[in-house]
Amino acid sequence: MPFLTLFLLCFVAPIGYAVHQSLHRTERTGPLGLGGQEREVFAGLANYAHALADDRFLTGFGRVLLFGVVQIPLMIALATVLALLLESASARGVTFFRSAFFLPYGVPGVIASILWGFLYVPGISPLVEIAGSLGLHVDFLARDTVLWSIANIVVWQFTGYNMLVLISQLKAVPDELYEAARIDGANAWHIARHIKIPLIRPALVLTTVFSIIGTLQLFAEPMVLRPLAATIDSGFTPNLHAYSEAFVSNNQHVAAAEAVLLAVVACVLSFGFLRLVGQRGNGSDW
Amino acid sequence: MSTGTYDDGRGPGHGLLRRRSLLGGAAAAAAGFTLAGCGSGDGDDGAAPEERKKGQKITLSFWSWVPGIDKPVDLWNSEHPDVQVDVETVSAVDGRQYAKMHAAVKAGNPPDLAQIEFPVVPSFLLDNALMDLSALGAARYKDRFVGWQWQQSVFGKGVYAVPQASGPMGLFLRQDLFDKWSIQFPQTWDEYEEAAKAVRRQGAWIETFSPTNGNRFAGLAWQAGAKWYAAQGDTWTVHIDDEPTRKVADYWESLVRRKLVKTIPDRQNAWYKDIQTGAIPAWIGASWGDALLAGNAPGTKGKWRAAPLPQWQKGANAHANWGGSTTAVFAKASYPKDALDFALWLNSDPKSIALLIDGGYGFPSAKKGYATSDLDVYKDFFGGQAYSRVFADAGAHVDTSWQWGPGVDTLYQRLGDAFTEALDSGGSFRSVLRTVQAQTVSDLRGKGLKVESGG
Repeated sequence: MPFLTLFLLCFVAPIGYAVHQSLHRTERTGPLGLGGQEREVFAGLANYAHALADDRFLTGFGRVLLFGVVQIPLMIALATVLALLLESASARGVTFFRSAFFLPYGVPGVIASILWGFLYVPGISPLVEIAGSLGLHVDFLARDTVLWSIANIVVWQFTGYNMLVLISQLKAVPDELYEAARIDGANAWHIARHIKIPLIRPALVLTTVFSIIGTLQLFAEPMVLRPLAATIDSGFTPNLHAYSEAFVSNNQHVAAAEAVLLAVVACVLSFGFLRLVGQRGNGSDW
Repeated sequence: MSTGTYDDGRGPGHGLLRRRSLLGGAAAAAAGFTLAGCGSGDGDDGAAPEERKKGQKITLSFWSWVPGIDKPVDLWNSEHPDVQVDVETVSAVDGRQYAKMHAAVKAGNPPDLAQIEFPVVPSFLLDNALMDLSALGAARYKDRFVGWQWQQSVFGKGVYAVPQASGPMGLFLRQDLFDKWSIQFPQTWDEYEEAAKAVRRQGAWIETFSPTNGNRFAGLAWQAGAKWYAAQGDTWTVHIDDEPTRKVADYWESLVRRKLVKTIPDRQNAWYKDIQTGAIPAWIGASWGDALLAGNAPGTKGKWRAAPLPQWQKGANAHANWGGSTTAVFAKASYPKDALDFALWLNSDPKSIALLIDGGYGFPSAKKGYATSDLDVYKDFFGGQAYSRVFADAGAHVDTSWQWGPGVDTLYQRLGDAFTEALDSGGSFRSVLRTVQAQTVSDLRGKGLKVESGG
């Protein structure tokens, strides 16, 4: 019963409210609409139609999907490599490196974006300056590069976190398995390829699903970099678009519709991914 | 459970709504054009806001971002032990203060008073967020303020805020660099273009065209004679894609395409760095820009000068305004009378104005209580120039028939997005105006307003 109360209060109610908001609109009457009467009327799917007719909103989706397709495999691969290296028999300074890689996760996304912002802005960035002195012209905030500059921040922040999830699963593998493999003549590479990676598959699936959801929610990084870069518009990511609708244009109803659409896409992609790996694998993992 | 939540979100507005409809209806019938039946009968949900009883102690909440605002507020607090004002500083970066205010209005817990710029007053009116101060006799204080600035918050017979300061525009220049490069201060936009070429030959850029700065673009269009909004009867007309604005757009597009100006965002780290190093020796700013320059480029002290905006016609004297602020009382304020008293005192009492000037708040809306020379706070920074005279003259020649409409924050965002895209894809600035014109009309219609698209 306590669970049910909490569940209704914290989960069902906000979602219900968002859906309700997304199905209504504000109707204004009175001279010039200023200060006249205002009431909420049922709008059907008009807010959804409005959101889906907005090029910028759809472009934002395309952008985060492209982002995810590149960034997620890269980050998961990097986290896996780091986890395997740190958990290999010959690794030294394991505790130190584990904490060091994990540390960026402790930095809030906004702060991380401000930090990286200083490294990206021309005229201030030491990176741009060094590249310039070598005769290279780099612009981290240009139209073609800004998305990958954001990807870099996300990789920096979350690789250590994912690595830790993978390590904890690696730790759960009984040592006897490795011993047996070694007796059979397997080297470190064989063990990693044929024993470790298959055994941490559930953790890999989990971190990937988290990353898919995280990618769709991309917000803090573009929000912080926006004033610095004239290349990030108000609909750079779907989340940013919904924010602009809600708090700049004061269209809570359209923003609610966009939020619901975002949640639906996140659901479809996460469960789609789970199905995909579920069919491909032996089915016992997930 | 969920039904309860719906009521939570709508409840406060709901009860208010019915009463407001009645009042609004009656008032509209009487006055033809009247906004909301706010005023004395409005405010808290159930009961009408009481007047403060004699000797009763209250605290008013006030959101502002004006530098040094705490000083006059402290003075008020020491002089008015019964009516204390609690200032909360809000971020003014990228319009975040308004996001916070809109959210607070929606949630039903806005502050009693807040700083709101001229252009966004109508946006708050659209949501019934502001109190009609005319019911409290605000019109009596009209003469304390510069006429057109008072009018910025007057709609119909309603008075929705007390003006605080305006921002007449001007041109800030590095005298030392212009002298060194033998470039004259430009007096017309043609001369400005020549100056831009000359500066470029020296390896610097005269300025930046910040694509996301809709505020400044609006000011430049205003100077050229544009009028983006018009209200007639119960209909708004939007004229963003008009001839004067096209002229301004063409002009800047030509500078941008010939790479005579930078396109980085202004008032950001990279821009401040350029300002400090002389890589950008000029800035089309507003009177309140003195504090920004002095605060962020201290190394250039004594080298800056202020000059009037370049003119489209030689010898003309057309000017515009960038920003400008009011102190507004929210419709839910519990003690509107005291809130109005504070807003009037803050913006017209000579002691308060002196303290605000010290903080560097812009050009006072009050007619009395200061001399132009009081505003030359950063005189040393401007090489001893009495630079406020430049802005006073600009302020006196602002075309005061310019009117703001609802949804200006959205309009700025639309402009920023469209300019960003145009710079990237090579689209024309004229197409930006066409796009934003169409978007704005549809945005306002989406808000349930009657709107026409003007040429």
